[in-house]
Amino acid sequence: MKVFDQGGEAVAAPALLEEVPPEHRVPVAGVREAIARHRARRGGGTYTALRWLGASVFVAVLLALVVTLVSGSSEAFRHSGLSFLWSGTWDDNRKVYGAGIFVVGTLVTTFVALLLAVPIGVGSAAYLSEMAPCRLAQPLSVLIDLIAAVPSIVVGLWGLLVLVPLFEHHVEPWLSRLPLLGHLVFAGAPLGSSLLLASVVLAVMILPTVVALSRTALSGVPVADREAARALGATRWQVTSRAVVPSARSGIEAAVTLAMGRALGETIAVAMVVGNRVAMPHGLSTTLLAPGATLGSAIITTFGEATPGLQRSAVIAVVVYLLAISVAVNAAGQILLRRRQRQRSARVAA
Amino acid sequence: MTTLRTTDTGDVVVEELLPAEVLPEHLASGAAARRAAIRQAAGRTLGRRRTATRASHVLCALSVGICLVPLVALLAYTTARGIHAINLGFFVHDPTPPGIPGGGIRNAIAGSVLIVGLGALMAIPIGIVAALFLLERRGRVATIVRFGADVLTGVPSIAMGIFAYALLVEPLGHFSALAGCFALAVLMLPIVIRASESAMASVPVDLREAALALGARRSRVARSVVLRGAMAGLVTGSLLAIARAVGETAPLLFTTSSDLFNLSPLQPTGSLPLTIYANGTQAFPEAQQIAWGTAFTLLVLVLLLSIAARIVAGRLARGSR
Repeated sequence: MKVFDQGGEAVAAPALLEEVPPEHRVPVAGVREAIARHRARRGGGTYTALRWLGASVFVAVLLALVVTLVSGSSEAFRHSGLSFLWSGTWDDNRKVYGAGIFVVGTLVTTFVALLLAVPIGVGSAAYLSEMAPCRLAQPLSVLIDLIAAVPSIVVGLWGLLVLVPLFEHHVEPWLSRLPLLGHLVFAGAPLGSSLLLASVVLAVMILPTVVALSRTALSGVPVADREAARALGATRWQVTSRAVVPSARSGIEAAVTLAMGRALGETIAVAMVVGNRVAMPHGLSTTLLAPGATLGSAIITTFGEATPGLQRSAVIAVVVYLLAISVAVNAAGQILLRRRQRQRSARVAA
Repeated sequence: MTTLRTTDTGDVVVEELLPAEVLPEHLASGAAARRAAIRQAAGRTLGRRRTATRASHVLCALSVGICLVPLVALLAYTTARGIHAINLGFFVHDPTPPGIPGGGIRNAIAGSVLIVGLGALMAIPIGIVAALFLLERRGRVATIVRFGADVLTGVPSIAMGIFAYALLVEPLGHFSALAGCFALAVLMLPIVIRASESAMASVPVDLREAALALGARRSRVARSVVLRGAMAGLVTGSLLAIARAVGETAPLLFTTSSDLFNLSPLQPTGSLPLTIYANGTQAFPEAQQIAWGTAFTLLVLVLLLSIAARIVAGRLARGSR
């Protein structure tokens, strides 16, 4: 007999009372009343009210956030229509607003940052979790966990004052001299501030997150799995690549998704190094050395000067756009994670 | 007779259980041929497997090296430049007008403490109570709250800043510490909820049921069993949320910026991240010096908060065992 459900609610006692046929009921004075009083005391009261208050404040804040931003952006969306989402012109004078360039900048910097950070990050996590001697792995893991907390403004300052000169005088000239790549991806004058540097700064920012979360996922794989693989004659690398990484895959994917969300939504560090070119002179260019803008950096550079009305509404529309992309990415990650967990529990049950 | 065995290091060894000499001659010759064939085959895969293991080892170690270079360079450079900028006056003086040497960041320190402190006072109680709600309720509302917390964790922090601007700056007509701490509170809320919920869920259900069976009210169970059992997780989650909020720039950019020393919540207030942004983007070496000093201060503050969170989590976890 189950007396309490998980929430601690007494579920069985009154139900039992109902199950007893009337002719067999022993007349016990006041039992029903006592139970009713008891339930009233448990169900009502300040404690329940308090809990409901906490939950409703949170939901109210969430709704207010969405409603405020969406209503603030409605004027711009009415003005520009859906072409706001992909049109590449942002011109205050002609009152033409399109976030296309910012979206491309965001997608390109995020993609390049993930390209740089994910292999290095997952490789580091594999080394720290599977290969490194414990004396080395433990302090390094703690160090990287702590570095994950470094504020983005500090990374941005370092990018602006250290990496911009370094890229301008050394890295970008060298890259533009590369055969083939120099003409396609790294063409143009080395200016320092560029989409490439923004990607590098983002990669540095998300690296600790990728390493820390992937390492946690890898360490969570049961030792028995590793031992079983070793017993079948697998080498250390085969254990890692065929037993450990596949079963930690959902955790690694979650780490990458989280890092991606961070890279998409980063504003201040990117704004300091990306060059903030709101208007593209010749449409979209294919070079990573060109200065550009992302959704986040565009908000920072344009909101301060935006006059109330259409101009400000257009910036808020960029915020809504960024919000929608981030939420979509995060939701996709969550769904992916849940599905994998379900699959695994189904497999375990079978 | 021969067998194959894998050693600890992943090498395949051909072992002979019987010396070839004791076999009759007609068998021994066949055995030798078989042995040679096995050895050759094993040698081929052995070479491949050994190369793969070594290569992967080298590559992964290399990626740790590549990973550590920028991270350590960032920390070392900020520390080296920051220590130069810091002296006692740096913490107790307000900033000076451009061109006059010897400014400090007293306003920014006071402002950050004010904004983050008020934000934490808003977010932590609401977050913990909302987590209690999640703990004791399964249903549509709980699903909405949980999903909302998940979604809000992924929302870029600039969105909170613009939200606070529309809600508190436009009606008041000017920037204020209140708007900044509201933005930070919205940022901290989902972090606190998620951390608190998982901390509370780790308190065994048996303990809660035992307390209920003893006749305790649910408010009493929440206070004496759930909150006490989850204390380590609650403190850790709150500290991590504060550490995150202290370093956030984007929510404060359009809500609080000011160079003045101010302790009133309704007035514009400086903060550490904004001081870094304002000074770091200037071309003057003096301003950049202040930016490095502030960045180092912020870095130390955030690292101390994170280390404190780890220590609390570790100590209380040991204590409860």
